[in-house]
Amino acid sequence: MNPWLIIAYVLLIAAGAFLLYRAFRTADRRYIYLAVSFFVIFPVLITLTFPTEISPETRQLYDAVEALPDSSNVLLTFDYYASTLAETEPMSRAALHQLFRKNCRVLTMTTIPLGGPSIAERVTRELAAQYGKKYGVDYVNLGYKANYVAVLKGMGSSIEAIYPTDNSGTPLAELPMMAHIKNYHDIRFIIAISDNAIVDYWISIVRAQYGIPVGTGVTAVSAPQYYAYVGAGQLTGLLGGMKGAAEYEALVGHPARATMGMTAQSLVHLFIIFSVLAGNAIYLIQKRRPKSQGQA
Amino acid sequence: MRTTVPIIIAFLSGLVMVLAFFFNPEKSTIGRFEPEVLSWVTIVGGFTLLLGVVSIVRVNYGAVQRRSPNWGYKLATVISVFVMALPAMLPTRWSPLFGTGPGSIYDWLFNYVDAPMMSTMFAMLAFYIASAAFRAFRARNAEATLLLVTATLVMLWRVPMGEALLQNIHHDLPGLINTYIMGGANMAVQRGIIIGAALGAAAMSLRIMLGIERTYMGH
Repeated sequence: MNPWLIIAYVLLIAAGAFLLYRAFRTADRRYIYLAVSFFVIFPVLITLTFPTEISPETRQLYDAVEALPDSSNVLLTFDYYASTLAETEPMSRAALHQLFRKNCRVLTMTTIPLGGPSIAERVTRELAAQYGKKYGVDYVNLGYKANYVAVLKGMGSSIEAIYPTDNSGTPLAELPMMAHIKNYHDIRFIIAISDNAIVDYWISIVRAQYGIPVGTGVTAVSAPQYYAYVGAGQLTGLLGGMKGAAEYEALVGHPARATMGMTAQSLVHLFIIFSVLAGNAIYLIQKRRPKSQGQA
Repeated sequence: MRTTVPIIIAFLSGLVMVLAFFFNPEKSTIGRFEPEVLSWVTIVGGFTLLLGVVSIVRVNYGAVQRRSPNWGYKLATVISVFVMALPAMLPTRWSPLFGTGPGSIYDWLFNYVDAPMMSTMFAMLAFYIASAAFRAFRARNAEATLLLVTATLVMLWRVPMGEALLQNIHHDLPGLINTYIMGGANMAVQRGIIIGAALGAAAMSLRIMLGIERTYMGH
């Protein structure tokens, strides 16, 4: 290894240790902020990665897609804002890797007005180019329509009635792929990647009323809510946060951004746990100290 | 009149959607009527977006004219609305820079201005959580201690380094956390919340349909 690199690592570790010491010594929040920055930036600089255990919920989603016959019609949703791209975009990318590898026909849509269609367009076109897929034949981006409950319900009767044109304004009747897809009955599986409560509607409207299996990928903060649906069999697989995305990347054989982000997340989680323990240790010491001593 | 008409519209719209659920959409009149109602809802939804834009421009432009506190930020909001919206609304046949497709002004502004700003705002949460965890997350009583221990275990379980650490303590500890905390206690509580919220939503829908709940009319 390059000796300068070793020196850089030693300096970075020393800087991290110093920041931690100062943060706990002074309880100044700026040192805590600096320490968090350090633990986010450090793993990115040294590209440190750790193996990820695959959770049963992630494997369930992967297996469900694997079990689909080749050339199945699959709906992939981009129901997330740009704020959660770090967690959700790797899920969409991994899903597209698996779907395009299986030659599935991919229909994409979004219920997010701000940037949802742009994200879907950018990610899908990039992955489609890698697999030599053609727009209108192998994948179609429906884009955004207002009032998602009506959109989800209406697509059960006719997708064309809700989306007369795709995201670029091309009539659906002119896209060869849409000759095979009229409503939910022509779709074999739905993967809803989301950072909000829209997944509830995919379950209550589409899964419950039309019987189409739904798998989901959600942010870590909302993942606990969906365990109830996985347990009840109403969700076929669940990707929870960046960890879920990293697991899915590992399963599809394309470790990428989520896998890289895992080390930073690991270090920050460990730092927060250490902070909580240290904060409680200080609290207990202060509590046991006699009041007179504390006042002196 | 201003109260009765909206109540009748709300009652009929709700009734159609409830009844349509029980009828075959291809073989019954009410079933065939459902997609029509849904198309109306989508169109009305489009107009509500327009209403939102008009409202944000009116409120912020008024504040700029009055030179109210922080009017500079409000001016930035108004300018941003038009800079994002206008090129997106212009027809693409005039220029490939218009519309919302790849390479358009809207797409560029979204990918290189809006997305980084939104991601930055969201990422700042990590700093606040770390600071708050150190300063406020205390084992003051039995409930807080239980929460603290559970949170620590779940945080360790959700990252590979923590997972490896837990496996060193007991090889099946990550699996036990998934089974008993996430798939056990968490799932039971979430089910209670979901069922409670669904019953609340059903009761609220009924109140709106029957005209008991009128807050949506500004009453």
